[in-house]
Amino acid sequence: MPILSIRKEGGSVSNLESTSALHGFATPGRYGKRDGEAGVTASERKNLGLATVVARKGQEAALKTAIQGAYGADLPDGSRSAVGKGVRFIGIGPGQWFAVSESLANEALADELATKLQGIASVADHSSGRAVMRIEGPAARDVLAKGLMIDLDPRVFVDGAAATSTLSHMGVLLWRDGNAYDVALFRSVGGSFWGWLRDSGAAFGLEFVTTS
Amino acid sequence: MRINCPYCGARGLEEFTYRGDATVKRPESIEESARDAWVDYVYLRDNPAGLHKELWHHGAGCHSWLEVTRNTVTHEITAVELAAKGR
Repeated sequence: MPILSIRKEGGSVSNLESTSALHGFATPGRYGKRDGEAGVTASERKNLGLATVVARKGQEAALKTAIQGAYGADLPDGSRSAVGKGVRFIGIGPGQWFAVSESLANEALADELATKLQGIASVADHSSGRAVMRIEGPAARDVLAKGLMIDLDPRVFVDGAAATSTLSHMGVLLWRDGNAYDVALFRSVGGSFWGWLRDSGAAFGLEFVTTS
Repeated sequence: MRINCPYCGARGLEEFTYRGDATVKRPESIEESARDAWVDYVYLRDNPAGLHKELWHHGAGCHSWLEVTRNTVTHEITAVELAAKGR
């Protein structure tokens, strides 16, 4: 991770710059089939705020009310997402949600949730532990089908649908955002994920873009 | 074999871990007189040919503990509930 040290009067301030989970092994460009439009486009959604929200004992109703009041989202009782003001809440288990935000970047999301949900939910920051990859394009479903045992037919896996499962033996959280699929995985398996994506996307032509 | 997780839906066996008989109850007493009950609780299991209530952990999904009713002869699963139901 590059650390930019900025010298200031009377001391130095460290400014940590976030690095891609695929840094060092995945370079932007076209992979596999060269001719025609790329069947699948992949990018990393960097600097997202990521956090888990777990209801404290007997506080689930209070948590739902608080989230509705603060973000205008109805926490779902199942594996799907609810999009509120600047934050997407995804059901990951009974009484547990995974929150994703662009506007509340990195740890800002967990900080805000922890403040607003004091006493009713436990909040943990995941922004530096997970990478979120966006998979889209006409062949996105065909590529994901090579590693994921989830039915992604649009009649079943509708916009906002989500699943916690395994992708080529790697634990992932997947959700659909419009026609794109977002895959959250542990940063430490970023290299394995890239290897899987490059090989699985080759037949359709894979375009890898660094950030979205 | 697929297990119909009440939270995630039907998923393949590789997402779950078997965690044993769901009917055993931890003895209330820790006195010497309860020794037989403890031996039974820790070591002795029935081995029914037919319906069996067992615990499964959905480790690759929602991390719920499930109470599964499975026929040990045919592997048919007749019921799946959250082990934490009503708690």
